[in-house]
Amino acid sequence: MLESLTGGYLTGETTGIVLVLIGMYGLMTKTNLVKQVISVNVISTGVVLYFTNLGYVAGGEAPLISSAVMVDPLPATLMLTTLVIDVAITSFALALIMRIREDGS
Amino acid sequence: MIPFIVALPLLFAFLTALVNAFRVDRRIYRLLFMVGIVSPWPVFLLKIGDMPVSAIVGGWERISGIEVVLNEYNYYFVLGELIVFSLVGLYALHCYTGRDRSNDTSVRYILPLMLLLHGGILGALVSSDLFNFYVYMEIASLSSIILVSCSADRGAKRASYRYLMLYLMSSFFFIFAIGIIYAKTGYLNFVLIRDNLVMSEEIRAAVAIALVSLLVKAGIFPLHFWLPEAHAKADAPISAVLSGVVVKVPMYGAILFLVYVGIDFFADLLVVIAFASMFFGIFMAVLQDNAKKLLAYHTVSQMGFVLLGIATLDVDAAIFYVFAHTLFKSGLFLGVGTLARAHNTTNLDELSYRSSKVLMVAIIMLSLAIGGISPFIGAFCKNQLLSNLDGFQVYLFYMAGIGTLVSFMKLNYKLMQPGTRSMTVSTASYLEKLATISLALLTLIFGIYWYPRLKYLDAVLIVIAVAVFFSLQYLGLFRKTMSSVFTVDSLGREINLYTGTFVFVIVLFLVQLFY
Repeated sequence: MLESLTGGYLTGETTGIVLVLIGMYGLMTKTNLVKQVISVNVISTGVVLYFTNLGYVAGGEAPLISSAVMVDPLPATLMLTTLVIDVAITSFALALIMRIREDGS
Repeated sequence: MIPFIVALPLLFAFLTALVNAFRVDRRIYRLLFMVGIVSPWPVFLLKIGDMPVSAIVGGWERISGIEVVLNEYNYYFVLGELIVFSLVGLYALHCYTGRDRSNDTSVRYILPLMLLLHGGILGALVSSDLFNFYVYMEIASLSSIILVSCSADRGAKRASYRYLMLYLMSSFFFIFAIGIIYAKTGYLNFVLIRDNLVMSEEIRAAVAIALVSLLVKAGIFPLHFWLPEAHAKADAPISAVLSGVVVKVPMYGAILFLVYVGIDFFADLLVVIAFASMFFGIFMAVLQDNAKKLLAYHTVSQMGFVLLGIATLDVDAAIFYVFAHTLFKSGLFLGVGTLARAHNTTNLDELSYRSSKVLMVAIIMLSLAIGGISPFIGAFCKNQLLSNLDGFQVYLFYMAGIGTLVSFMKLNYKLMQPGTRSMTVSTASYLEKLATISLALLTLIFGIYWYPRLKYLDAVLIVIAVAVFFSLQYLGLFRKTMSSVFTVDSLGREINLYTGTFVFVIVLFLVQLFY
């Protein structure tokens, strides 16, 4: 039903790209620093969604036990690294914003 | 063997952080730090005999493993990195474990972070794998952002935030481009990408996005916003590493793209951007009255020279220029940073190198090197870049060279005047002077080794530069400062503006691609 409405364009990849664009919009319009950090997180979610869908194979199994059709595990593994970096960077950015406020500059 | 180049500094970063947390004897802390800094040297020296070498971590096949290499493309990057880090390590050891600041809490984490930066940069420089390159570049950039924020200077936090936002944005776009390339070729290893590459619109778009994000990280002109503040606000050894080494890592990425994927469809646009960056950096540098900001704007300008090498598809010229810039810019930042520390100011009118002859000689030598005067290393590299240019571009190139000389003449002229402020730290330590003068001597040694001749044209260039300098001074240009022309009221607005520029440049690249 949904697929016939969107003409097959509504995939994980396109949704990811749209999320990236929404995040960019946030970074271009919001002056609040915390909102900017949230925008960066939206971008990162978009990228992760895009990547995990790259490895998707229709009807594929998780590549733990060998079966006929498997999804590509590599993009998902790569995204683990990116997610870890994201968490660290978000906490650092928030701490930095606190210090900027304390400085009063 | 090659993975140890990366693994050892990372291991020692962990150990120094641990020793630091348990408050073990300071001497062990210093020793571990220095061992960590020099630890990649033995591996590097053992391996350069049989270059090019490559290894897959863990002995896997190339398809499923992570490949690390040491070849003609990254040899000079790694060599420059190791030289600069060894000397800056000595400098930092004196600067941060001395009596005056060792009890400051933010200072305690600087040395482990520097080792992390060391490992991150080396990891990015030896990797021949897109994702590995991205991860290590991330480690290096993040630790340098934290190092900037550790500075006690006013405004360092804001500079750090600006750096963080710009770098995050470009990172996400870079990894998005990696995704497209992976989807199209099925590999992340550069050699396998080259073997399986079928040029298509998607790949070109991916290369465009990846290049723009690398340009952000390298601080090339329309995307340079984060660079001058971050490099000027950081402490002397940190800014030496940032300007000398960290901005070169994305350039290595661009060279990998040039060699393995091909970026010739952007060559014209990149040449324009390179020249714009060269002139913009010089223009802004001439107007600065802050010594470290002057040097930071010259980094923008000099990265334009490197980009010119890449844009003219001459890998060797770009690599040699990177090596040269690594030596002289980190030397300049160390020298000027030492003066700034001793005088407790960065204002050019208040600084002076009259009281220290060693620093004076070093800064003059390094200024000649960055200006491309002939027995120094800059001359050799500029000659190589020049050989790819023709017609109008040659004149532009000479004009940029003269501009650099004028700007450094200003720096030296101001430093030669007796400063209005006397040195507060009685004498700069001999280790600090040693690090600076060694880098100055290295620019001379490598220059003579590669290009042992004197060019008469250089004398003409110096004369023109002197004439331009004194006429500009007569006109009173140096009394103006640029800070009042372009101001944005809040940090949030600045980020909005920079994001807009970033999107604009990406669109520019994509439009150039499809029309």
